[in-house]
Amino acid sequence: MSVAASPPPRSSVRDAVNDLRYRFSIKLFLSELLSKNWMEPIVPFLLMVALIGYFSATVPNYTSLDNTQQLLRLFAEIGLVSVAMGFVLISGGIDLSVGAIFAVTNLAALILFKSWEWPVWAVALGTLAVGAFIGLINGVLVGYLKARPFLTTLVTLIILRAGFDMVSEKYAPRFAVSDIESDVWDFLGGGTILGIPTNALALLVVLIIGHVYLSRSRYGWHIMAVGSSRKAARHAGIRVERVLLGTYVLSGLLCALAGLFYAARQNSAGSDTGQGWEMQALTAVVLGGISLAGGRGTVWRAAMGAVIVFLLINGFVRLGLEGYLTMAALGAILLVAVGFDVKWAKNRGKAIQKIYVNPTRLELKQAPSIARGSASPYAENDRLSQAEVIGLGQVEGPEDVILDRQDRLYTGTREGWILRFSGPNFEHREVFARMGGRPLGLAFDKDENLVCCNGGMGVYGVTPQGEIFKITDETNRTWGKLNDDSRLRLADDLDIAPDGKIYFSEATIRYEMHSWDMDGIEGRGNGRMICYDPATRTTRTIIKNQRFPNGVCVAHDGQSVLYVSTWLCRILRYWIAGPKKGQLETVVEQLPGYPDNLNRASDGGYWLALAGIRSPAYDLAMRKPDFRLRMVKEIPRDEWLYPGLNNGCVVKLDADCQPVETYWDPTGKLHPTITSMREHKGYLYIGGLENNRIGRIKLPGADPDWTGWESYWGNKQNSRVRPTSGSGISAVS
Amino acid sequence: MAFYSHFLRNMEQIFFPDRDQHAIPSMDGALSPNGKLDAFTVLLPDLTDVDDVAVAPDGLYVSAGRQVVHRFGPGLGQSRTLASFDAAAGALALHPDGRLLVCVAGKGLAAIGTDGGQRWLTEAEGQPLACLTGVAAAPDGTIVLTDGSSRHRAADWCRDLMEKNAAGRLIVADAGLATARVVRGGLAYPHGCAFSADGRQLWFTESWMHRVSRCASGAGGLAAPEVLIPNLPGYPARLTPAAAGGFWLPLFALRTHLVELVLRDDDFRRDMMLSIAPELWIAPQYASGKSYLEPLQGGGMRKLGILKPWAPPRSYGFVGRIGDDGRFLDSVQSRAGGDHHGIVRAIEPPQGLVVVSKAMGQLLQAPAETRQ
Repeated sequence: MSVAASPPPRSSVRDAVNDLRYRFSIKLFLSELLSKNWMEPIVPFLLMVALIGYFSATVPNYTSLDNTQQLLRLFAEIGLVSVAMGFVLISGGIDLSVGAIFAVTNLAALILFKSWEWPVWAVALGTLAVGAFIGLINGVLVGYLKARPFLTTLVTLIILRAGFDMVSEKYAPRFAVSDIESDVWDFLGGGTILGIPTNALALLVVLIIGHVYLSRSRYGWHIMAVGSSRKAARHAGIRVERVLLGTYVLSGLLCALAGLFYAARQNSAGSDTGQGWEMQALTAVVLGGISLAGGRGTVWRAAMGAVIVFLLINGFVRLGLEGYLTMAALGAILLVAVGFDVKWAKNRGKAIQKIYVNPTRLELKQAPSIARGSASPYAENDRLSQAEVIGLGQVEGPEDVILDRQDRLYTGTREGWILRFSGPNFEHREVFARMGGRPLGLAFDKDENLVCCNGGMGVYGVTPQGEIFKITDETNRTWGKLNDDSRLRLADDLDIAPDGKIYFSEATIRYEMHSWDMDGIEGRGNGRMICYDPATRTTRTIIKNQRFPNGVCVAHDGQSVLYVSTWLCRILRYWIAGPKKGQLETVVEQLPGYPDNLNRASDGGYWLALAGIRSPAYDLAMRKPDFRLRMVKEIPRDEWLYPGLNNGCVVKLDADCQPVETYWDPTGKLHPTITSMREHKGYLYIGGLENNRIGRIKLPGADPDWTGWESYWGNKQNSRVRPTSGSGISAVS
Repeated sequence: MAFYSHFLRNMEQIFFPDRDQHAIPSMDGALSPNGKLDAFTVLLPDLTDVDDVAVAPDGLYVSAGRQVVHRFGPGLGQSRTLASFDAAAGALALHPDGRLLVCVAGKGLAAIGTDGGQRWLTEAEGQPLACLTGVAAAPDGTIVLTDGSSRHRAADWCRDLMEKNAAGRLIVADAGLATARVVRGGLAYPHGCAFSADGRQLWFTESWMHRVSRCASGAGGLAAPEVLIPNLPGYPARLTPAAAGGFWLPLFALRTHLVELVLRDDDFRRDMMLSIAPELWIAPQYASGKSYLEPLQGGGMRKLGILKPWAPPRSYGFVGRIGDDGRFLDSVQSRAGGDHHGIVRAIEPPQGLVVVSKAMGQLLQAPAETRQ
């Protein structure tokens, strides 16, 4: 066979620049940024900042303490009403009566204080009770009687307005002549705390409590759930009626709070009190980014929208615009905001998808020779073509294989099962555990529990009796990283150190098990090495930004952890004990193929599975990120260029991880995509990610009593061989 | 760059919606994938390196390696070497006067008389005929040749494709091979030609443009060609008139999205041609699966012991029969994972359909039960 090797590496300045250019990707940052929920209201936020900036720059003394206090005092009430509207909108409803409730409660507060001469605390409670009662009526009608919120609250609005006009006509003259005085009342209306007006402070407190309530409490989550999908919420056991009732009562309460402050501030009830506030509040919350469809929003967005609307109205007034023009302008803004809301909600996911994949440049050095008959330790041969067959057609995708002390063979399959083969010829097959996810790397701990890395779930264990228990499914979150990367997405392979610590690899944090190929096409350091400490039950990331870390093996002497980087075709060693503790070094820099699992051998060396052999075309593509990007964008997935995973081999490494010999199936018909192998009592068992069989070959000259478990925990630990000094080719860190 | 070319393409689609996108057409109807070609059996296994075959009055003429062999007698058991050259013998055609026309790589056209005498045509209008891909003779004795490319020999067709050349010619010579003139230049690898049964039309294929054209042929020479099949799903090879009317049209490989992408991406293609051996390029091939260093595509991953037949084919076997209107009537195919790939010629001797598989380098014949 003619072997066309990739060209010798060119190390020019241009390549170095390209390396840098593709390592940091603005698109990557953007895609992560866009997927954050707090990025949703970025447009209203910028608008708000721009408005404040504009008015500060153009209006004299705009930012003076006096004017700021004045503005805050004016703003607080509409702010509270907007938050009220926000809550109802998030629950999937609408409350058009907020302005009317505000007016009525304002009147009620004045009547209670000025006419009935109640003490201020009683006035406050009474006012809130009135607001809550009106909200209760709305809530019963909408929640329990299933009335449409729009019509219901419109009717409430009309009735309340009529009642307000009737009552205020009767009482208004009395307020003017009333001489009731109260310091507390005046403080509510005009006082400040630390320079902040009372009502603005109340709004701030409401915002903070409201935020915690909505985003951190069970009731808040229920509101979100009901707003997102009422049916799904009901199926999840949420009492939808009660939640809806609660939001309308909450809305009434917040409006009443606003009414109370307004009463204390103005001491009068004009007929236009709260007129049109429902439109202002609605414009505000939609502008702030609370979805009209429900289920999406925060109190901050309501407040932000309210600020924008308030500043605009304020600005229009200063510009000398007529009232009706102001309303028309607001209407136009509402229209634009609603349109944007719909488009944004629909297309954000697509925008993220469009820029999510970000290939980087990866240049591999020339691969060592695999030519048949050559002196290379990797030289191709046919030693796997005579492999015995275990479980042909009975197993789908045995990624990793392992044997226990009773010579039973375990493997994880693509169905999410752990299968067990037993009997002299492994003819008895049983489902040992139904785990779910995609079981990958396997290892036995000291107590003979089967510990399993599960793509999509984390690290799980199975007791000898077949009971599944969770070991860990998250690690510490990386500081300064936008995306929460604490969840384990693709735990790949693991091994257990003498002290019981579990070292495992997470192949990628940006893709899932079913899209591992995308990670290859991206070629970034998306993976990491993680350690679980059973003593403290903590999980910590120990090495970040690895390129698809895959097989993991604790060295025979227990002093270091060996692991491979699949896309870099490299074996690395991380010292966990001894003088080099904490250091990372590259042990084998260039493999001829893509390494997968790594396991101990009986002679003190190691076994390494090469899932595939590097093809020149793929190597070239890895140096061409733009080509790969075009590829994923322009052609279907089945047509993508893949790493050559149809053929691979098993490599025997010595104690220093240097290659000694290989076992090949060059046709790829029996053992394509070899992802694992395990030595047990003189035999080597071979698994493959996409195979329908497990293979077995006899290892002449291997210790016939050696088993993996004995090597880790039993009487074969003395086969530990210290690597000779200077085994590392180069120190990485 | 990627963004820019993407943008240009989008703009083109907006402003010229009717312009030919030349996207790979789907294979349905008479083109629906089947495995009928896999059932073909090897004919004359002693012949290797076969490039073309022609029907002889009493058997077959076969160009195998550097020789042209005449096989005749019962079971085609008797053999006679008609001619030997110092370069590979290629396309064949039988002249109405009984001479056999042979395209010889890098040389030109040889006309072999019944007495064994050779007459050569080595150039047309001062240009050598180094890449002859097909030859046909009209009933009146006029000879038509397709010269694939002026830049590469026929064995280097893959490089010609990857360079996106359109340097082929259609050449007409008189029966005595005294004069030859170029009637059409700038063709994208013309790859075989044939006269219709009545001799009044010349059909020819252009591999890199994936199309079949025809032109009226008469006393005044060849008329301007008319594109009959504008967009094939593969690369057409040598046409042969079918007994039941129409033509046999082999596609020696199918187009794949990945190859089309590589053809659009100039930077990648240039580096690929510079740094990788041609047999490992992302390009169509006569045969595949010979080396695991070949590029692998997603659908080609072996799963649960099976290579999916729908995997993107690096090589493929396809022979279709087209009617006089250029519509496909029927096809026999060998899909991904099969061996009977790289079909460049299909002929219909009395014993049934016989095809030339470049992947095998051998002749294949239809299984007995399907022979008429």
